[in-house]
Amino acid sequence: MTQREMNCPLLAEDTADVLLDYSAGRLDKTRSVRLLRHMETCGACAAFLTEQTALWSALDEWEPEPVSMDFNRRLWQGIDRIAGAPWYRRLADALRVGAWKPAIPLTAAVLIVAAGFIMDHQGTVPFTTSAAGGNGVSVMEVDQVEQTLDDVQLLKQFDSIVTEAGGSTRM
Amino acid sequence: MLRVRDGDEDSFRVLLDKHRNPLIHFLYRMVQNQPVSEELAQEVFLRIYRSRTSYEPTARFTTWMFRIATHLALNWLRDEKNERAQERLDEDRGSDLPARELPDRKPSVEQRMVYQARLQEIRDAIAVLPEKQRAAVLMHKYQEMEYAQIAVALECSESAVKSLLFRAYETLRARLAHMAGRRMPA
Repeated sequence: MTQREMNCPLLAEDTADVLLDYSAGRLDKTRSVRLLRHMETCGACAAFLTEQTALWSALDEWEPEPVSMDFNRRLWQGIDRIAGAPWYRRLADALRVGAWKPAIPLTAAVLIVAAGFIMDHQGTVPFTTSAAGGNGVSVMEVDQVEQTLDDVQLLKQFDSIVTEAGGSTRM
Repeated sequence: MLRVRDGDEDSFRVLLDKHRNPLIHFLYRMVQNQPVSEELAQEVFLRIYRSRTSYEPTARFTTWMFRIATHLALNWLRDEKNERAQERLDEDRGSDLPARELPDRKPSVEQRMVYQARLQEIRDAIAVLPEKQRAAVLMHKYQEMEYAQIAVALECSESAVKSLLFRAYETLRARLAHMAGRRMPA
């Protein structure tokens, strides 16, 4: 887009704001001049602007309702109720409106540090379980027992082979 | 708001007086029910008061206020999406058109009927917009908020806001095109 030329604002939804702003009277003078120059040759933009301006005036006709006379009085009654509430109620309200939100990053940081500490020290601290009656059997001990059982099984098989071989020789 | 945070209750009164009407008008156009809009506005101000001590000026006060208001209005609209609520809303619409909105010169019965019909069309056209589009249009048109402020209030990007507005106005132009050029009866 140069100083003199303007790409058609209707080419994309997020550039049509130029037309919306113009019809709302919120477009700065420089861009207004460029838009007007563009509309001299762009019928689509000119039609858009005519319709949008008409819509803008139609929406102006919708006046809001007057506010109740006792609005402030009711609000201050509500505020007095808050002020007079017990501390646990005020705490619950504070948590409900999001006062706890700043604590989220702090909690996350603490959890990350704690997780890192645990992972870092996992290799040096022997893992124990209290499942076996609270005696604390280490992983290493379990491995040794399994290894021993395997060895016993192997010896039994070897023994039976030797016994069978000895019997057949005697026959 | 910073003074309110520091315990200055008079400043809260100033905030209330300054922002009460724009807030209620926004909520009224969102939910199209005056008593409900005032109840929601009460809740907005109570929330502001309750969280005053933790207020951080990360955005303009009005943006923060409209963010709370939009949340409450959207929640209310979602909760009220049943037939019973719709019937109640229709009744309120019928009774919400006070004579004081009309000009001082006494209009004829016909003029009043035309006036009410036009208003009803505008209300209906706004009411059928998807909730986020509706909120975006009301903040843009009636509260004259900037795209960046609307984006913060709706928790989306500026580009998304422009897109919401483009589509919303497109729908409104189509629905209200026949009103172009015809003014309200004076």
